[in-house]
Order: sequence, then structure tokens, then C-alpha cells
Amino acid sequence: MRKIRVLIAKPGLDGHESGARLIARALRDAGMEVIYLGVRQTPKVIVDSALQEDVDVIGLSILSGIHKEAALSVMQLLKESGAAHISLIVGGIVPKEDVAELNRIGVKGVFGPGTNTREVVKFIKELHNNEPK
Amino acid sequence: MSALKEEFLNRFKIKLIKWKEEILKGRVANGEIKPEFWTRHGQKEKTKVEFKSGSGEFLIKEIFTPLDIAEIDPIDQIGLPGDFPYARGRDPLGPQAVNLPLKFYSGYGSSEEAKERYQRLYQAGGRFIVLALDLPTQIGYDSDSPIAAGEVGKVGIALDTLADMDQLFEGLPLDRISTGTVGNSIGPWALAMFYLTGQKAGVDPSKMKVNLQNDPFKEYTGRGTFIFPPRVALDLASDTVAYVCKYLSHHWEPQYHCTTTLRWGGCNVTQEVGFGVANLIAYIEAAQKKGVDPEQLIPRTNLHMTADMDLFEEVAKFRAVRRLWAKIAKRRFGTGDPRVTSLRLTVYTGANRLTAQQPLNNIIRVTIQVLAAMLGSVETISIPAYDEAHALPTAESTRLASLTPHILNDECMVGNTTDPLGGSYYVEWLTSKIEEGANEWYNEVEARGGALAAVESGYYLRQMADGLYKYYKEVESGERKLIGVNKFTIAKEEPIQLFKSDLEGERKQIERLKKVKQERDNDNVQKCLNELKKVAQNKADGKGDNIVSAMIEAVRSYASIGEIFGVLRQVFGEYRPPMII
Repeated sequence: MRKIRVLIAKPGLDGHESGARLIARALRDAGMEVIYLGVRQTPKVIVDSALQEDVDVIGLSILSGIHKEAALSVMQLLKESGAAHISLIVGGIVPKEDVAELNRIGVKGVFGPGTNTREVVKFIKELHNNEPK
Repeated sequence: MSALKEEFLNRFKIKLIKWKEEILKGRVANGEIKPEFWTRHGQKEKTKVEFKSGSGEFLIKEIFTPLDIAEIDPIDQIGLPGDFPYARGRDPLGPQAVNLPLKFYSGYGSSEEAKERYQRLYQAGGRFIVLALDLPTQIGYDSDSPIAAGEVGKVGIALDTLADMDQLFEGLPLDRISTGTVGNSIGPWALAMFYLTGQKAGVDPSKMKVNLQNDPFKEYTGRGTFIFPPRVALDLASDTVAYVCKYLSHHWEPQYHCTTTLRWGGCNVTQEVGFGVANLIAYIEAAQKKGVDPEQLIPRTNLHMTADMDLFEEVAKFRAVRRLWAKIAKRRFGTGDPRVTSLRLTVYTGANRLTAQQPLNNIIRVTIQVLAAMLGSVETISIPAYDEAHALPTAESTRLASLTPHILNDECMVGNTTDPLGGSYYVEWLTSKIEEGANEWYNEVEARGGALAAVESGYYLRQMADGLYKYYKEVESGERKLIGVNKFTIAKEEPIQLFKSDLEGERKQIERLKKVKQERDNDNVQKCLNELKKVAQNKADGKGDNIVSAMIEAVRSYASIGEIFGVLRQVFGEYRPPMII
């Protein structure tokens, strides 16, 4: 069976990447293929890389408050590239009232500080199994 | 060891053996707790007796005794405050002599909004106002740069040109407050901004108290607002240091090294101390190459550390780092001059340990972290607000945080005497253990070619990645208990009051920048930028002009930060980080 492929990136200018690195490693340890893009990535680079690497999931790590703008751009670019099958998840500091908004624009999961990495692993596995490729 | 001491220790050894045989054995045997008359009816006993320090590095025994500190010389190693090797404090009087400042790290939105807030802070008694800058400013981009979209004024204030500073400090007495900023990749520019703001307001720049973090290494080890390759960044930072030491009064502090990103990113306690000392040494030596004496610079700098959760381990850390620094600096700079061997410490308490779950618990966490810093005789303490794990703090939570040390000092009398834990068997043992371990890490960094090489090779990042992963695995397995996260959790959490940043700020700031660009003398701007480029090119060619004078002229001409760093990016190129997970 093909391994689940996940791309982890930090859009925008914030450089606090501990959380991104942590989740990347946890997903890798859970048997997924992880493509780690690191900090200061634009939505365009993120989506281009996701297509090139043929990933199933994009994970954005955001602490600086730009989650809505970043998620919106990525979703739009995915749609334009005909890659709506790629699911988007967001981790970091997201105020509660913004979670619904993110879900509305198509973000599949939002994970706040203190989330157990196993929870994210489980979420991605369920998500992926429900979507035959 | 004197005969008297030896006799005392021998007697104690016998006492300890007897205690273990006759008393302790009745309570615990083969790692199992035994119910005895100490046990109250119905009281639950623990099943396991292995305790580790907060960093996970040290196994902690059931009791510490004089035998554990037998090798630590009470005169040469512990000594007295204000005296080599400064384990007990840098200042002979410490908290009895120094008033705690009310300190705020603050700023968001446009300079217009921030100005209002600073005025309020000043009226509330704030005399130490540190500018938090937004990310585009920290990385040298204008507010109207495409890459800055959505980030202007978000995590701090936006500064595009000198006009923003003029407005920000309008009406604030620049000779009566301490100010500064944490920008690390933009040191020469930050210097120019403060210098010219004072000059334009008619304040003698040498009367200003300005504190610049100017600490490029931390941007490559977790904070991430780097611009240039590390070698270039170090060069620009030490230009700033050299200029300040040469031309400005001792009220200007041109640089300090911050270990928080190392520790928060996964380093353990001995790494925080060892890497921190190595990094600060590298800064001092880089400035030394530009003609700055360590005697001149070290009193103006400090090591900026975190305060983690293990109270005693952290107190020991502050004591250990002063002692390790004293010994290394004495050897390295060949002098016992107290200006060189005594190290000032600042603490930003551990915001990384604040939890999003049950956020009010963070008030307790922060209080203990502040207590550790005070008991460890650090000079300055900055404190995050309890709601920082959610969002930027509100005015109320910021004020609450700032009052913490004042309650500990004025009501709990923590500052009544210096180093109250000095002489504690446990804390002295921990202090020596941390110093020992940190010294090994320091030697390891030196063996790898020093701090700059350790940054360039990704050595620090790899150490951090391993440590961080281990920590979170411990939390997830429940081996490490976090209240509200994996113990005493509650199913549904009450929402807390959160600060909202103003989305209008970005639009207003871009308008301001446009206006400045229209009104300034654009020929002069171009001339200044060309001059700056020439100096930078000389630097790149190995001819070492100090960049600060050209930077001051560029800022004075109202060239924007994006224009200035655009020129420097052309010359020096940009840093691409290694992908280490």
C-alpha cells in the first residue's frame, strides 16, 4: 500500500518552527512520507511543491495570526490546480472563533497548542482512508 | 581537605549509613514504598520512586546531605556575592540594592496605535518600554512588500521609516525612559533609528538608555527571522557593537545573547548554559576583532535566559552560569577584571511552558518561574502574560504579568537577602552538576570550531530537534505530567478574553509609507543608498568598513527599511536554512 504523503510548511514570515518540526517527525515516525518545507514559504511554493510531491495532505503551521489569509490562498490555489483531493490541515495558535471560519473555507482539521501528535496521526489516517485515490 | 572537615564528613557518613539501615529501610525497599506508621489511613502511596529533574538530566535522590557537597569548596566555589566566581550573585547587595523596574514588552499595529499604548504605559509608571516589531520589520521588508501582506502590525509594530519612530516617541521623554528592541538581523538599522529619533527630539543621544538585542545567532536556532548568512549577520551585529562602544555612552547596550530559543526549541539545561556561554564568547571576540575591549563590552551586555519549571534546577542554573562564565572568561580573556568575569543575567520566563488548556494555571507557572529568577539573583526579569499560548496578550494580562515580581518582592520578601538558597545541599549539588555538564557542551562547541561554526553546520538545530521530540513524547506517554494537559484535564474549557489586532492597521501603515516616500528628497535617498551599497560591497570584498555611519545617513534620508535591506540583500545574498526535523 502506498504510504500517506504529507507536506509540512510554515507560510508567512514567522520563524518559530518547533511545532512544525515536531509534527513532521511524529508523522514520519507513524509511517508517513513527510516532505518538510520549513519556514517562510508562500502559498504558491507550498501548492507547487504539494503537486510535485503528489502529497495527500498539506499541513500548515501558523502562530503569527495569518491563518485565515494563508488557508484561503492555499485552498484557492489547490482548486485552481485541480487538486481539491489534497486535504489541508492547520496547526498553531488559532482563536476558537476562527476555527469554524477555517472549516468553512475547506480546512479539514485545526489543531491547537497542546494537541497530542497521536491525535493528528489518527485524524490523517482516517481522512486518507475515506478518500479512495 | 582539612582534618576537621574530614572528621565531620566521616561522622556524617556513619550517620547516613545508620539512617538508611534503621529508618529509610522501613519506608522503602527494592524500590517499593512500604506502608508504615507515617502513612495516614486511606492515604495513597506512590508505586515508583525515581525522580528526575525538570530537564530530565539528573536523577534526584531522596535526600541531600553535606556529603553531596563535600567536594565543593565553600570559599573558592560558593564564596560571596560580588566576588569571583559569582555563584551567589554579581552584585554584592543584589536585591537589597536594586529597585525592580516595571517592564513592558509591547507593541502592535501601526505606530499611531502603538504610540497611544506607550503613552498609557508611561503614565502607569512604565519606564522600560521595549518595542515589539512586526515580522516584516524584523526581516527588513516594507509594509507594502507583497511578502508582508497580512503580517503588518501583527506580532508587533510596523516601522518602515524614521517618520514612524518620530511619531511613536512624540511626547515621551526619551532621556527618562529605557527603550530598545529585539530585532536581531537588523542591528545597525535599529541603532540608527533610535539614535536619530533622540537627535531629532533634541535629546543628546548619549543620554538615552537604549538596549538592542542584536543577537543574530538566535534567529538560526529556532526564532527564524534571519536575513543574511550567519557569518554576514555576525559581522553586521558586531559593527553595531563597535559603533556603540566607540561613540555612545554606557547607557547604550548594543547586544546580548538570548538562550531562550535554544531551550524552548529542545535544549536541556546544561546545553542552555554551555551553548549560551559559547555564543556570548563568540560575540565578545567578534567585537574584539573590531577594537572593542572585553572590559568595555561585557558590562554592557548580558545573557538572556529562560526560567523553566523546575524551581531548584533553574535557581542552580543561574548560579552555575555565572560561575562557568567567570572561569571561562578569566582564562579566555586573560584577566580577573570583574567587568569581564562577572556576567549580568536577564530572564524572560518560560512562555514555552504556558499551556493553552486551563490558561489561568499559567499565572501559577509564571509566578514560580519569576521566583526562580529572583532566587537565582538575576538582574532583570521579563514576564509573558498567561494568555500568550492563545494569542497576543491583552492590556490586563500584560499588567498582571508585570506585577508578579513586585508581589514576590514587596509582600513575600523574596528580595530580603541575596542568594537565600546558597549553601543548600541540594541546590549546591545541582549547581555543580549543571556547571560540569555545561562545561562539556561548551568544550564540544569549541572543538567544532566555535559558536559560528555550530550555527552554520546545523549542530545546534539537531541537538534541539532531538530534545524537543523527547520532551513531547514524555508528555504524550504521560511520563511527564502537565496539569490541565495530561492530568486533571477538563472536557470543556471556558473561552478566555483575547486580544484582537486591528486589520485596519496594515492599510493605514501602507498609506503612511506612501506619503513619506512622496514627501522625502528622493535624490538624497538614492545617494545614501548608493553609499550604503558601496560600504557593504567593500565588506563583502573583505575590506572592513563599519557599516553604521552609512546606515545612519540612509535612515536619516527617510529611506525605508525595505529599500535599505534590499540593497544589502543584493550584496550579501540571503540565508537558506537546512531542513532539520
